[in-house]
Amino acid sequence: MKFLTKINRNYFLLLTFTLLIATISAYFILETILLDNAKENLLEKEALIKNQLDKTGETPNIYPIIEVRRSKQATNQLPLFKEIQIKNKEEEDEIETFLEYSSQIKIKNTYYLIKLRQSSFESDDLELILMVFFGVMLLSTFGISFFVSRRMNKTVWTDFEKNLHEIEKFSFAGNKKLYLLDSDIEEFDRLNLAIEKLTEKLRTDYLSLKEFSENASHEIQTPLSIALLNLEEILQQELNEDTFKKVLTSMNALKRLSGLNQSLILLTKIDNRQFVADKVVSFSGLATYKIEEFSSLFEAKNIVVEMNLEEDFAVKINEQLAELLINNLFSNAIKHNIKNGKIQLTINKNEFKICNSGETNLLTDETVFSRFTKGDSKSYGLGLAIVKNICETNNLEIHYTKNEVHCFTIHSKIKK
Amino acid sequence: MKILIIEDEIELLIGISNYLTKENYICELADSFQKAETKLSIYEYDIILLDITLPDGNGLELLKLFKKFNSKAGVIIISAKNSTDDKIKGLDLGADDYMTKPFQLSELNSRIKAVIRRRHFDGNNTLEFNEMVINTESKSIYIKGEEVVFTRKEYDLFLYFFINKNRVLTKEALAEHLWDDNIDLADNFDFIYTHLNNIRRKIKIAGGTDYIKTIYGMGYKFTEQ
Repeated sequence: MKFLTKINRNYFLLLTFTLLIATISAYFILETILLDNAKENLLEKEALIKNQLDKTGETPNIYPIIEVRRSKQATNQLPLFKEIQIKNKEEEDEIETFLEYSSQIKIKNTYYLIKLRQSSFESDDLELILMVFFGVMLLSTFGISFFVSRRMNKTVWTDFEKNLHEIEKFSFAGNKKLYLLDSDIEEFDRLNLAIEKLTEKLRTDYLSLKEFSENASHEIQTPLSIALLNLEEILQQELNEDTFKKVLTSMNALKRLSGLNQSLILLTKIDNRQFVADKVVSFSGLATYKIEEFSSLFEAKNIVVEMNLEEDFAVKINEQLAELLINNLFSNAIKHNIKNGKIQLTINKNEFKICNSGETNLLTDETVFSRFTKGDSKSYGLGLAIVKNICETNNLEIHYTKNEVHCFTIHSKIKK
Repeated sequence: MKILIIEDEIELLIGISNYLTKENYICELADSFQKAETKLSIYEYDIILLDITLPDGNGLELLKLFKKFNSKAGVIIISAKNSTDDKIKGLDLGADDYMTKPFQLSELNSRIKAVIRRRHFDGNNTLEFNEMVINTESKSIYIKGEEVVFTRKEYDLFLYFFINKNRVLTKEALAEHLWDDNIDLADNFDFIYTHLNNIRRKIKIAGGTDYIKTIYGMGYKFTEQ
């Protein structure tokens, strides 16, 4: 729900409630006031009639408003106010409510019974008037607030919307700072300031982390280079088999260390989203290229590769990462394959699936992608962790299943 | 061939220069931006090996500068950073190749030779050894005048041996040359045997000598002895 809609809705509910209370109270107050007025009016009339009786002795009679009769005896039940219903003579069906005032007065030893009536203001009418008032008030305030908020959307909120857009597309990998538009609203400015501070802090942290990982790489690779270079030269001398083996083992260990270092740095870089997804990459194209490139590896193990291409699986991703992804999947499929085995690729619009024959293992969908989880002791145990990481940072899902063959299936999380 | 090696790590500088001197290159050394800048403004080189991270400046700046002085030399960047950004920047600025540390000396030699060939410094594109001739332009191999058809990988492998004559090359080094770190091979080098067997068989059929010697089952050497 939009902020303004929410405010409007709350505002409207509150207004309806307040107006309702106000209208109901107004009804009762008005009713009391009208009644009091009517009573006062009748009492005034009584005084006038009394005055007239006193002077002339005439008994005025105007039905149904004034009725005056002589009476013989006194009663002490009067005076009295009550409401009565009287049929209108002209309009047969209409029954009108009157406020009746009965009293007895004594003038020159004669008792007069006076009944004064006044058509009371009907509560039906009162209700109608108040309802109309209520409706008009509600509609007009709602109408005004609607136009005001629409106007605010165009003025007050435009800068906010622009800033929001700016924040949404902000990336740490880009080298730009986050700049937000100033507004003349204090809260927005405070928010902008807070966000700018926060992103700047995150950005510097991010940059120093990036720098650290690059420096770490440099600092580790350089001594490794020196050691490897010297060992390579030692290998060129006349060596006995034992020494040759030892030098070679040392070289392999150092290369492994270097490879591990690079893979870990790569993982960090992927996590930090240092690779910008800037291209729609065709996975079938990449796969075809890799099959060609690795053909001699397939031959060496006598692996048959089948490609079942229905439709291309294309994803917006960093090209280098996509290549790495396919590369590692193939590397895995070759490494854990058996002699005379097979690799099957199934590619369609929604998925990229690579299956390979291989020996059974205890790995599951949960564990196979973990760092340093190895099917055997020979590999680094980072290849599939990198694959998983690439998928996670590029809106892709990957799953591992196994029955006779081991399969890795990639889906796009973005619905097409 | 005159090579300028720009590298701030002295041990590495000396190691590379010793090796390249043995391979009959004339080497000059610079361990800082300043020294490299001075040398580049005075002398001419055929090949420049350039480390990007120097204590007193960025190697890429040096590359820009040097392209002004001398556009003839081939440049190979040697960097500890396996960073695509740097690679692209370097190649855009006119570098011929980009190598990530750590690298094999034999690989460095092969890359230098490739740059020399590409730039035609020695004016011909054939390599010869006894009865064998490699035409690097057409990527074809002739034995006793007859062309022997090699696959791309076989050709790459054979050329690598050819360039690194009399040098022990391990299976790992050969695999790395062919695959460039692209694949975690898990110590499985069956395909190297397959390639080598094919190469040996083809040479034998063409009546050539098999100069590739196996050393303790772990390394190989292309040698006449």
